[in-house]
Amino acid sequence: MNNKSSNEEKKAVSRRSFLKGAGVTTASTVAMSAGLLSFKAPETAPKRPPVLGPGDTEVRLEVNGQQESVWVEPRTTLAEALRDHLHLTGTKVVCDRGSCSACTVWLNDKPVCSCMTLAVDAEGSKVTTVEGLADGDTLHPVQEAFIEYDAAMCGYCTPGMVMSCAGLLKRNANPNLDDVKAATSGNLCRCGTYPKVFEATLAAAKKM
Amino acid sequence: MKNIDSKGHVTGKSIYLDDIPTIQGTLYGVVFGSPVAHGHIDAVDYSKALAMPGVIRIITHKDIPGENQIGGIIPDEPLFATNEVHFQGQPIALIIAESDHLASEARKCIELKISEKEIIVDPRVAQQKGELIQPPRTFALGDTEKAWAKCVHVFQGKADTNGQEHLYIETQGAYAVPMENGNIRISSSTQGPTAVQRTTAWVLGVGMHKIEVDVVRLGGGFGGKEDQATPWAVMAALGAQLLNKPIKVVLNRMDDMRMTGKRHPYSSDYKIGLSEDLKIIAYEATFFQNAGAAADLSPAVMERTLFHATNAYFVPNVQVTAYSCKTNLPPNTAFRGFGGPQGMFVIESALAHAAHELNVPTYVLQKKNLLKNGDEFPYGQIAADVGLQHIWSDMESKFDIQAVEKRIRAFNANHSDQKKGFSLMPVTFGISFTKTPMNQARALVHIYSDGSVGVSTGAVEMGQGVNTKMLQIAAQMFSLDPERVKLESTNTTRVANTSPSAASATSDLNGKALQKACNALLERLKQSAADHFGVSPGDIELKNEQVYSQGKATSMSWNQLVDMAFLQRICLTENGHYATPIINFDKTKEKGHPFAYHVHGLALTEVSIDCIRGVYEFDAVKIVHDFGKTMNPSVDIGQIEGGLVQGIGWMTMEELNYDNQGRLRSNSLSAYKIPDIYSVPKEVLIEALETDGNDMAILKSKAVGEPPLMYGIGAYFAIENAIRAFNPSFISTFDAPFTHEKVLLALYNHYGILENSKTGIRSSLSGNADVRIAQ
Repeated sequence: MNNKSSNEEKKAVSRRSFLKGAGVTTASTVAMSAGLLSFKAPETAPKRPPVLGPGDTEVRLEVNGQQESVWVEPRTTLAEALRDHLHLTGTKVVCDRGSCSACTVWLNDKPVCSCMTLAVDAEGSKVTTVEGLADGDTLHPVQEAFIEYDAAMCGYCTPGMVMSCAGLLKRNANPNLDDVKAATSGNLCRCGTYPKVFEATLAAAKKM
Repeated sequence: MKNIDSKGHVTGKSIYLDDIPTIQGTLYGVVFGSPVAHGHIDAVDYSKALAMPGVIRIITHKDIPGENQIGGIIPDEPLFATNEVHFQGQPIALIIAESDHLASEARKCIELKISEKEIIVDPRVAQQKGELIQPPRTFALGDTEKAWAKCVHVFQGKADTNGQEHLYIETQGAYAVPMENGNIRISSSTQGPTAVQRTTAWVLGVGMHKIEVDVVRLGGGFGGKEDQATPWAVMAALGAQLLNKPIKVVLNRMDDMRMTGKRHPYSSDYKIGLSEDLKIIAYEATFFQNAGAAADLSPAVMERTLFHATNAYFVPNVQVTAYSCKTNLPPNTAFRGFGGPQGMFVIESALAHAAHELNVPTYVLQKKNLLKNGDEFPYGQIAADVGLQHIWSDMESKFDIQAVEKRIRAFNANHSDQKKGFSLMPVTFGISFTKTPMNQARALVHIYSDGSVGVSTGAVEMGQGVNTKMLQIAAQMFSLDPERVKLESTNTTRVANTSPSAASATSDLNGKALQKACNALLERLKQSAADHFGVSPGDIELKNEQVYSQGKATSMSWNQLVDMAFLQRICLTENGHYATPIINFDKTKEKGHPFAYHVHGLALTEVSIDCIRGVYEFDAVKIVHDFGKTMNPSVDIGQIEGGLVQGIGWMTMEELNYDNQGRLRSNSLSAYKIPDIYSVPKEVLIEALETDGNDMAILKSKAVGEPPLMYGIGAYFAIENAIRAFNPSFISTFDAPFTHEKVLLALYNHYGILENSKTGIRSSLSGNADVRIAQ
């Protein structure tokens, strides 16, 4: 117990010192910028990001290998841009707050929740959706395995689940069960197909 | 046969409601719901909302040309509130705008004045105040009053189960498109297309023939879209009628969770009496069902609680009474198991209570009292086709219950901070709609002149694989390559007057109707071939798209036979109708033969608890299940695994949280936890009981949708068992779900910190934490 409380104290102290330090840094930054603004010529001022909105703004993306341009409000999420503007409805919006991973797409080859990513933040990025996973008529091994193992029931979580599993195999060609669980830990399936997702993903890894 | 929809699912090409390409000019509806749970609406001011850009119209009860009524069993629920509101989120108006963002913004500007009234959230309080949806019902067998005297041991107590959010991954929604002559075509994410059609017709003041409802598939239903998909479709259709524009209404997740009903929470009292040799002599229970603010399907759910009150046991003297209590929560509704699980939890609690007091393992009591063929259920049906003894001996031979018990005891003796526990959970579940008239279905089959086949039934595909099973039946019966058969969407113009896809009976009812249609077509085709070859129809067979006569292949293919029949002007379309035989139920006597058959099974659940933190994980669930003769093992095993996980969720982590103002606190996926990939038991083993199957089931393959959910009840009692290994003085509370927090408190309640969870006194251990006690 004693150990624990002294640890707690240390943690608390260090957190306080961190905050203190951070406060100082922030304050000095403010002072510095104020100084810059008052004494230096305007052309050398740090460049501010452009102000977007409230109207539509152009976002350019490479989606499934195609160059796309969409005009969206700055608040538009990547999921909305994909579904409502590019009509790629394979990506599903389920919780709209990053709790279920049904909207998983790859952003520059990494799985992300597209409901938690603003379209404007994806500007210039490479986006892969479930529609772009197959190579023409040749399905991705994870897609093949999901069919083979009947790993989809109602199918609504499936696109996100497939993108998470295929994303895992992209970074780890030889995963074990724990890796599969970790990769899909955020993907919720209400039909409870989890056991078949395990089987399918491990089988797909063997085929790759 | 693999699920026929899988390829669409894994490539993102399957079309769900919100994926349907919208027609130009489509407008979007967002529902304005009541912010208070009970009150009188004094005034509503829509002017600011209407002045917002992009807002087209706000529709209220005043705009309804027909009846402002959506109640299915009892007409007690308006589409839009008029003067009174009875639950938080009760729809008051539909805001129609050019986008759902704009409609949502406008919603914030509506000004509402409500005089609040007394709010009831506890079913027992509602019952005391006489707030009931319908009069109580009682099922009885023998005479419990006299039987108590014969009992050597009598135990009584209270057992509660909380509700459960459906959390279908696809939220509720509908898209209504005005057609010519005042007709409306609705695409709906519903389990009950006819319910949507009928209710829309009432509200719009038109005939059902004016309303077409089409369902491609659902992203999950679980009962939540049996009745409660209807209001949103009706609202969309009303908007389409009033504005002559396509209207889409899709609920966002928080609206969906706030506005729709759940699995019914129950609070129940039990009394059980046993003989010297531990046979159950008498059982009484009183169920207080939290129905919410309107009837919805509550009377039927309550009825099934009574049907399954004695689960898989024979009890000679039974008296069970149920009250459907009216509270100020959203009307609760169907959810996989439909009241059965709530009834079963109570008798399992009673047995666990008795076993603990008598110091015998619960499974000894369970095994001693299993139902046998010839036993009478409290509702008068005589048990037949019961394999429970076989199931139990299968379990013993395959998984050795005693060895599991010994292993767990040894583990517990050697571990102080970790304990294991186990339980057995037998299940007996009746198959059929308990309302006899609903046990009918139709299927429409077209053989096109090129030999390909189109099949329409009343079944809605929601992930349970019913379309795969239907296609399998048609392809098998015609001996065709499955690629040549297409399952059409479920549409009220092709198959009318459908029962909802519910009660686990969808494959049986629609499959049998489909068989009838296929048989009639085969008969006509065989007659045509027989005439051609100069033999009798009995000599003709169709195999692998070839015509066989007297056992020998002919030169005639399926395609040629179809073509010939068409040229002979033989009808290549058939409508099959099926109504389940035998079943009946007399509500005045509460006796009859309501079920076509029963499904039985047994689950052995093993759990490990971390006694420092109260967290637990399931090591294994081993199941012996009565599939009959499964027609699609892959689909059926998926249903068992999925049902089990959902049942475990209900019993463990899913904590529906309404405050005393009737406000849903667990109103999003970040506040309501459903089983994730780590919640699945580490080992799930499913063994099929060897049986001949049942002719009342499609291809002798028994219904499989709901029964496995109740295996999850075993999770609760396995946790109890493990807690007792750590804290022998633990007093059962029988109040599900057994969350990690509750487990932690139970592990340490011998410190007297947790006084008595039954009294509703909050634990002092919890500090500021809100320890919820089930109402």
